[in-house]
Amino acid sequence: MKIFSAIKLSAFRSLKTWKGVLIVWLLSLILVSMVALPIKGVFKSGLGNSMITEQLKQGINLEVFTDLGTTFKGLVSFFKTGLFMAIVIGFLLNVFLTGGLFSAIKSSAGKFSVAEFFSASAKNFWSFLVILLIISAIILFLGILIIVIPLVVVGQADGPTEGIMMKTALITFSVFFLLLVVMLLVADYARAWQVLNDKSGYFRAIGFGFKQTFRTFFFSYSLMLILLLFQLLYGWLVLSILPGITPVSGIGVFLLFLLSQLMLIIKIMLKVLRYGSVTTMMEQKRQ
Amino acid sequence: MKNLLFVLICYLVFLPYSPAQIVLKEPLSSRQTGYNIEASLDPVAKKIKGDMKAFWVNRSIDIVQNVELHLYLNAFSNANTTFNKESGEKPGNKDSEFGWINIKYITDNNGIDLIPFMQYISTDDNNIADKSVLNINLPNAARPGDTVYLNIKFESKLPSRIIRTGYSGDYFFVAQWFPKFGVYEPAGMRYSTKGGWNCHQFHRNSEFYSNHSVYDVKITLPKEYVVGSGGMLINEKDNGDGNKSSTYRAEDIVDFAWTAWPGYAVYKDQWKHVKITLLSPPERKNQVIRQFQAVKNALEYLEANVGPYPWPYLTFADPPAKGGGSGGMEYTTLFTSESFYGVPGYLHLPEMVTIHEFGHAYFMGILASNEFEEPWLDEGVNTFWEGRIVDHYYGINSGLIDNELFKLSDKSMSRLSYVGSESRQASSNSEFSWNYPHGTYGMMSYNKTAVILNTLMGIVGEATMNEIFHEYYKRWAFKHPSGRDFINVVNDVVVRLHGYKFGPDMNWFFDQTIYGTGICDYKVSGFFNGKVVLPEAVMVRNDSLQKPLSGSDSVSVYKSVVELERAGEVILPVEVLIHFSNGDNVNELWDGKSRFKDFSYTGNRKIQWVKIDPEYKIKMDVNYINNSLTDEPDRVPVRRLTNKLISFMQFFITFLSL
Ligand SMILES: [Zn+2]
Repeated sequence: MKIFSAIKLSAFRSLKTWKGVLIVWLLSLILVSMVALPIKGVFKSGLGNSMITEQLKQGINLEVFTDLGTTFKGLVSFFKTGLFMAIVIGFLLNVFLTGGLFSAIKSSAGKFSVAEFFSASAKNFWSFLVILLIISAIILFLGILIIVIPLVVVGQADGPTEGIMMKTALITFSVFFLLLVVMLLVADYARAWQVLNDKSGYFRAIGFGFKQTFRTFFFSYSLMLILLLFQLLYGWLVLSILPGITPVSGIGVFLLFLLSQLMLIIKIMLKVLRYGSVTTMMEQKRQ
Repeated sequence: MKNLLFVLICYLVFLPYSPAQIVLKEPLSSRQTGYNIEASLDPVAKKIKGDMKAFWVNRSIDIVQNVELHLYLNAFSNANTTFNKESGEKPGNKDSEFGWINIKYITDNNGIDLIPFMQYISTDDNNIADKSVLNINLPNAARPGDTVYLNIKFESKLPSRIIRTGYSGDYFFVAQWFPKFGVYEPAGMRYSTKGGWNCHQFHRNSEFYSNHSVYDVKITLPKEYVVGSGGMLINEKDNGDGNKSSTYRAEDIVDFAWTAWPGYAVYKDQWKHVKITLLSPPERKNQVIRQFQAVKNALEYLEANVGPYPWPYLTFADPPAKGGGSGGMEYTTLFTSESFYGVPGYLHLPEMVTIHEFGHAYFMGILASNEFEEPWLDEGVNTFWEGRIVDHYYGINSGLIDNELFKLSDKSMSRLSYVGSESRQASSNSEFSWNYPHGTYGMMSYNKTAVILNTLMGIVGEATMNEIFHEYYKRWAFKHPSGRDFINVVNDVVVRLHGYKFGPDMNWFFDQTIYGTGICDYKVSGFFNGKVVLPEAVMVRNDSLQKPLSGSDSVSVYKSVVELERAGEVILPVEVLIHFSNGDNVNELWDGKSRFKDFSYTGNRKIQWVKIDPEYKIKMDVNYINNSLTDEPDRVPVRRLTNKLISFMQFFITFLSL
């Protein structure tokens, strides 16, 4: 099967799971709002009926924040805790929902059903969590091995120029990225296997992930690389569009909110496309 | 006859100090001290052997019994020196890591060995482990007009952990490396009550106070080294033994430093009469244009608004990463910047450092104040100008960071440091540099001072501020001004340009700000509009009815009151802008003295909003939020920020979960 036809096929299947994508998006919005809205409330009352907001028209103005005095310090510590909690809960929530997404995208899945989505999420939660923790640990380990250690070694040699440091960093980051592709393949194959086989056993799942990755290495790797590069490109697009828009009218702010949420939904869809492609590929190989 | 012979010998020995001008057309300072040094660098032992002839002229009416010399490198000689105790840093464990300076030979005019007359002193803190100041009791006291000649052979070992000075591999930054005279201050100078040497130990937070001098320095080192110094290269010759000797001459600068590294690439540029040399690691080639432009911007701005840069040359070095500890230093005609490979164009931190360090050529170099005792006059005044230059050339709201995501001006940076500091009232600026409590030295000396001077500029205006500095330069260039001298200039210029608009002098301003610890916080407590019956209206003061009320029975008339409050201790005159429903704007000037102040108006218009200091000129005000109040606050920016925060967190979490 050609790479692009695999992507095309899984694109159709991913679109079918749009309800699942919306569930993921909605829950992330609710979760994050639980941190952001109290911050907004405190910030708003801190500013009161001041006209200082004119200083925020161009974007963030740090002086407005420091002038809040102790209120600002409170906001920062609330934000730190809130962000940490949101990351932890968000991570677990994503692990949970990924089970539903993988299940909804497989070829045998029928019409999307919310009940099935959540039941698949629940069924796969623990094994997905372990798989993801193990893969994350391996990625972290690789990161230290490939990026941190060479940079420290080069940095301690007498008189490394920053040109050499930069080149070392560029090379190590590239190598890391190339290996990251492998680890994501393993993670996705393992999870797809888990869902398709309806069995629990995360070590067997990870073992399958490795086996499948290397058995179909060229094909799998090329596909994943293309998908990841596409995601990177999209990430770059988001970063170059969203932060630069600073609407001054209420309607403008609302439209920006819609745009950023839409971009987030597309981001989630791209991830589902990745899950779908890997699942499709695996199913094709099994036939 | 014997005397005549002696004079002749002295003349020959100290020939380089003859009035002959090499760098400048004429002497700019009184040149009370002068140095002729032959130095050779041993790059393996990290040592410099020096042979120095130096003089100090007693221009006071005192009979001076001693001289005091800085031996700065001894600050790195053990863990208990004042410098190391203040910085909390260890000088090292091995001999090769320490730094020190040894005087091997010292004689006076008459060839008398002065070693028996030497003694280390530590008058700042009585720390006997600190040997950074040497006192020499002169066998023959220096009478008024006398010149004390010293003939010294010394050996300097550079420290391995570069803090301003030291080495890293084959990189050398050689500063504070030779025995240097303190400043003899006769009674009256800088308001001192009696004559004496001003020669402080080497402290973590200050290093400069010296007379303007002529330096003739010959540096010998392996010829593959590229050298930059605070002097003008007069002559360079290959010694045929793998070494070269370069002779530099500097006139009317307060310190002489140099750097040597085989890895430097040399770049040249020119601004008007000034030949500019930049030494930089070759891989930072794409930063070179930025660096030169920053220096030229600073030269242009300071020349226009303060006074001329008199020297025909200027050298600056951008230390390699391994010599980063020597970055951001100032030696008038030599300074160091701080850059890095591939610094993005929107980040103007390298420009900020370059402009700041160059600025010290004025504030410390030309206007040679005492950094130990009045750091605000050095670092603070310089930070004020740095902020003006950076924001002028790189964006009034985005001088430091100019990214669509985030913008930050240099002036804001100073204000953030001051306003955001929990210890902003821990001390005033009248402390010696090592006495600032709670780590407030940087915030106080650099940033609070810059905020204070920006506030002053907000009150008297930019043109007056520039005139103040023109006058400061005119009166005090190549001399040693004190803070009071600067304030006297402010007083004279402000009265000359504004009469008694701000009072007979500006001492009230400096007493509260530089010499005070109070905060400034003006605040709009509230305003209200109440309907009134007409007869009352005509009785109210400040009535600014502009439309005739006749025949306008249907029009409502309001008595409107603005309530203002001074929440801080600092008293400053502030502008108040009141906006009415019919579009009228009323400007009031409040002297800011009383704790509470009301302004009342009556008319067929209601107050919509009130602003104190509408142009944010009073940078000292620690809370801008309470400076204004409106009926209809604009909540849109808050909503936008919240939405962006939400999207940012959502994307971040999605990114983290594989
Ligand atoms: Zn400085």
